[in-house]
Amino acid sequence: MEQTTIEQKTFACQLCGLSSPFTYYGQKPPNTRAIVLLEECFVTQDPFSPDKEKFLVLGSTCSLCSMCVCVGSDCSLFYTKRFCMQCVNKHLDQFPHQIQAELAKKKHSSKAAVS
Amino acid sequence: MDSDRRRDSRSWDWDSPQCRAQVDEIFFRRHDYIQAGSTEHKEFWTFFDRFQRFKIKKDVSESGAKEDIEDRRKTGTGKVDLGLPKEYDARYRINVSVCTRDVEERLGKSEHRGRQRSSGPGSHEISDCRLTLLHFLDFSQRQSFGKLAKLRREQKSLPIFQYRDRIVELVRLNPVVVVAGDTGCGKSTQVPQYLLSAGFNHIACTQPRRIACISLAKRVSFESLNQYGSKVGYQIRFETTRTPSTKLLFLTEGLLLRQIQQDKTLSQYQVLIVDEVHERHLHCDFLLGVLRSLLADHPDLRLILMSATINIKLFSDYFNSAPVLQVPGRLFPIQVIYQPIPPDEQASRLEKLDPRPYLRVLQGIDQRYPPEERGDLLLFLSGVAEISTIQEACQVYATHTRRWIVLPLHSTLSLVQQDKVFDTSPPGVRKCIISTNIAETSVTIDGVRFVVDSGKVKEMSFDPKAKMQRLQEFWISRASSEQRKGRAGRTGPGVCYRLYAESDYDAFAPYPVPEIHRVALDSLILQMKSMCLGDPLSFVFIDPPPTASIQTAVTYLKEQGALDSRAELTSIGTLLAQLPVDVVIGKMLVLGSLFNLVDPVLTVAAALSVQSPFLRSSQHNPDCATARQPLQSNHGDPFTLLNTFNAWVEVKGERGGGSRKWCRRRGLEEQRLYEMVNLRRQFKDLLRSHGLLESQSSAPSGGDRGQRRERLTERKKLHQLKRDHEKQESSRRKVLRLDEGQDGEFSSGSDAEGAGRGKKDKEGAGQNMDIQEVKFKLRHNVSELQEAASVSQDMSSRQQALLKLLLCRGLFPQLALPDEHNSTRKDSDQVFHTRNKQGVVIHPTSVFASDPEVLQVPEDATREMGPERRDSTRHQLLAFVTLLETNKPYLSNCVRVPALQALLLVANSVDSNADCTRLVVDGWLELELREPDEALKVLSTALTLRAEWERLLLAQLGQSTMAGAEVQRVSRKVLEKLSEGLVRFLLYTEITYSLRRLTAFQTQNLYIGPQSQSEPSHTKDVNPLFPGVEAKPDPIKGGLRVSGFFNYNCLVDSKDLYSECLRSFWTCPNCDLYMPLTPLERMQHEASCRPAGEQQQPEEEPEGGKAASSSMSSLTRVYHCDVCNEDLTLTSTEILKHKRQHMYSAK
Ligand SMILES: [Zn+2]
Ligand SMILES: [Zn+2]
Repeated sequence: MEQTTIEQKTFACQLCGLSSPFTYYGQKPPNTRAIVLLEECFVTQDPFSPDKEKFLVLGSTCSLCSMCVCVGSDCSLFYTKRFCMQCVNKHLDQFPHQIQAELAKKKHSSKAAVS
Repeated sequence: MDSDRRRDSRSWDWDSPQCRAQVDEIFFRRHDYIQAGSTEHKEFWTFFDRFQRFKIKKDVSESGAKEDIEDRRKTGTGKVDLGLPKEYDARYRINVSVCTRDVEERLGKSEHRGRQRSSGPGSHEISDCRLTLLHFLDFSQRQSFGKLAKLRREQKSLPIFQYRDRIVELVRLNPVVVVAGDTGCGKSTQVPQYLLSAGFNHIACTQPRRIACISLAKRVSFESLNQYGSKVGYQIRFETTRTPSTKLLFLTEGLLLRQIQQDKTLSQYQVLIVDEVHERHLHCDFLLGVLRSLLADHPDLRLILMSATINIKLFSDYFNSAPVLQVPGRLFPIQVIYQPIPPDEQASRLEKLDPRPYLRVLQGIDQRYPPEERGDLLLFLSGVAEISTIQEACQVYATHTRRWIVLPLHSTLSLVQQDKVFDTSPPGVRKCIISTNIAETSVTIDGVRFVVDSGKVKEMSFDPKAKMQRLQEFWISRASSEQRKGRAGRTGPGVCYRLYAESDYDAFAPYPVPEIHRVALDSLILQMKSMCLGDPLSFVFIDPPPTASIQTAVTYLKEQGALDSRAELTSIGTLLAQLPVDVVIGKMLVLGSLFNLVDPVLTVAAALSVQSPFLRSSQHNPDCATARQPLQSNHGDPFTLLNTFNAWVEVKGERGGGSRKWCRRRGLEEQRLYEMVNLRRQFKDLLRSHGLLESQSSAPSGGDRGQRRERLTERKKLHQLKRDHEKQESSRRKVLRLDEGQDGEFSSGSDAEGAGRGKKDKEGAGQNMDIQEVKFKLRHNVSELQEAASVSQDMSSRQQALLKLLLCRGLFPQLALPDEHNSTRKDSDQVFHTRNKQGVVIHPTSVFASDPEVLQVPEDATREMGPERRDSTRHQLLAFVTLLETNKPYLSNCVRVPALQALLLVANSVDSNADCTRLVVDGWLELELREPDEALKVLSTALTLRAEWERLLLAQLGQSTMAGAEVQRVSRKVLEKLSEGLVRFLLYTEITYSLRRLTAFQTQNLYIGPQSQSEPSHTKDVNPLFPGVEAKPDPIKGGLRVSGFFNYNCLVDSKDLYSECLRSFWTCPNCDLYMPLTPLERMQHEASCRPAGEQQQPEEEPEGGKAASSSMSSLTRVYHCDVCNEDLTLTSTEILKHKRQHMYSAK
């Protein structure tokens, strides 16, 4: 189960292109004690925390299409599983209305910003 | 369910600290991801409160809103079933879970809740808390990821990002690439990262400033998410985070040069980036020259020059037309307004600056721009005096309008003061920052919208003839002018007011004068010599320095003993070239390591290498002056600094953090003392690594196990404090108060400050003090320091004299002579003369400025010998660290020394007449001694002492180059004897003489010049005073060169060396010799004749001058007598007797 730490590998989001080195891939990053991830994630040390033991999840793979996506809300969504935004849009009707409403609202506001 | 919760909350109070503590016991234990007491833990509880409020609101609004999800689900037929839960729960959106057995067990106990009630949280509370924790973790993740995404967006939006691949490609294909881009294009942070991710390893990136090395290493390490961890590091003069795994190293230019000095191939690096080459610092120009010649032999080495878009062609051409990649900067448009100062407001050279043109700009801004539109003003002036003049005037205006906060910025301000320019002003108020050119490149202040450019700069220039630095005001260059302008357009469109005409601008030089043309080149030449770069005059610099500067430096290094007469490195020069300190400081350290004076010498060397801790602004404060009084030493400024440092260490030992107050009361900038203590430690390591100091015999960690454990806990606590501080550090900037500028610089510095300000200081600076104290404690062993301090505090007058001599020898030839008429002048009009510059004055900060009498020859000790001659036993000289001309030529950091004694022990050349009553030292000082007998004695003693000193020093240096040759260490006994002799010579030589500076005319006809070979037999066979060294006729001055520095009988008024009239009967006090001898013969005899039994009881020696010893065997040497035609092994005296025998028989 325990994944070994991989050094110098780079994670890159296939949707937005965000790339960053990761130090661990799996569900149990080092030094997280009682914390378990519910999906296999690309994890790095949180560079924004002065505490060296804090982790930061960069992204994971879409549970449907296996695309590598970052956790940014423009690229993916987690709802019991990870879904890339493409898959979410494809299967939007299966998501609860709270999520649908949220996405619609976001779409609207980003459109407004563009125009 | 809701009613359930309400019932629970009656007996469980989330607001009660006890209840929370119980929850902490379950979720935030010491080994948990988040620990009770940590910052995250505090944040969690804040989050908890917010989350509970949010949940209650949501529960109310969403009650009964359960919908027909089932129906909707069915519409998705024909597609994949995602298997999502039927009911929406925000919890499903979190990809983290928390499970420990503790939590599970407690949740399992829900059935027994009734019984557990009183003893702790029930399952409900546990699950509430767990849920909140999950949301908190999710929240923190989102927050951090948001920052990361933002960072990546920013990196992408940097102008240089588009050139990423092009840069990598150019570097792959070319040995040298020039990347030119203006501030803000991102080259310094991004280029190294591009290269790293392209697979280059071992990259070094040089910076002109130490502070930039640290901040860039931090920034790049951060931007690459610590991916490289220890792989991104920095190395500055004495400090490094470098490890064997470091791939990218930021270091200073000087340091890279040192590394080349040690390893000419520079094989440790694959890529070298030289940043900010356009600044044209001395080291950078030199580095480029060295790299240029190095590249030819290393085709694999890659060199990247990074520059602002200034004079790019120069760099490209210097490296064989290297390809240039030009990156556009990111500047907002800036409007330039020329507002030349009208003639009636232009200050003449001696007048104060007229503030009206500057005030008009402030008024104009107030009229044209509404106060709601933010944007600060940055005003460039040439110097500190100008800044305080304009600051005063602007402050009056600011107090009146209440729309400005006026802040000065220059390097001599305290750090707290400097830091204020980064704080923000309250709404409706603008900052008016009045700065030297420090804000042109070194300090970047955001939020500047208006720039006022006076067009002037004060720059150091070097006068090789007077051997003096000069600080003069110049017009700036067009490049600087553009740089200043650019400061207005960093965060938005800006305005630049130029207080000169456009025609002036056009007449400006295109670029600033490079440093290599403006400064003394001593260290540079020394380094070139040690790198075997050949003749400095033929080295291919990018822009060769003036020949006169190079020649002056060579001469100076010769005078200092670092180069020999053929301009080759001496053994001390070889060592000095390796020490990354000023030549004079290096000399002090080396000299100090020989004697038992390491502690005070380390302190003085460190103190002279940092800015003075004495704040100028407190100088006229009577309270400060009184408090400083006990620290002052009338022996000289280095002694005052030594006292100050020692007293501070004492206070730190006793009161720890209380030292801040102690410093403030005395008008001391504590930061400088921290710098001193760090530097001092580094000097110590330096001496140790060069074998000049015995390595510590045992680790300082004595004590039993209990004490050690205590210390360990203490250190852990300190480390924690330091980490906590680092967390808070950059986080928030203070908001300035409207009256901020009014006190500031003019504040008393004592404890009696305005109430409001005092309070702010306690909060803001109080924290600052703690961290300094923490770092201090982590770095230094206070009790060890205290010990060292008390050693030098209890220095006897003898040790003090010896220290003075060491300082004087280190500083030589930087000596000044008090003018003979000083006693008739006012305190403020005291005049001094150096060898190359007449009429210099003492800087007002020096102890001798306030107490000049100690330099004057006491009236009762002088005897007038005619109009020109004042005889005394008490003439003194000043040894000084710097001679800098601002409005006057000033001497700073001076020590007073007894003139004749010091000169005879440190001067490079002492020339005498036949009976040694007239001495000319280094060709500019003339000493006339009244009594020939005394003159001979003192000279002979000095010769002996110097020979011994030289011998021991060479022995010490010789062994320092041999690793592990501890056995040969100069014996302590021999050393003690030498220092005893030196001290006695300095303190107890009572001899009456006159001292004056030779006029230019007098120096022309000083020497008799080479003599005809009329008496070859005499000169050829005369024995040297020191066995092994031959006395030869001096080919230029004439006379006899008796030792390295002493030239006998070469002055014009000399009588013939062997004329019988000079021969007088003399009885040797040590042996039974009684003979008519010439002065030279007498000295020779004295040098070799030792009192009977001296070897056994050296302490009981009756004569002051016979302190030094040589072994018996070294006294004899092989002498070939031409008359007997035989080799004889004799002592000098025996040779003398032997020759005399022939002389008489011949007659
Ligand atoms: Zn993405
Ligand atoms: Zn997908």
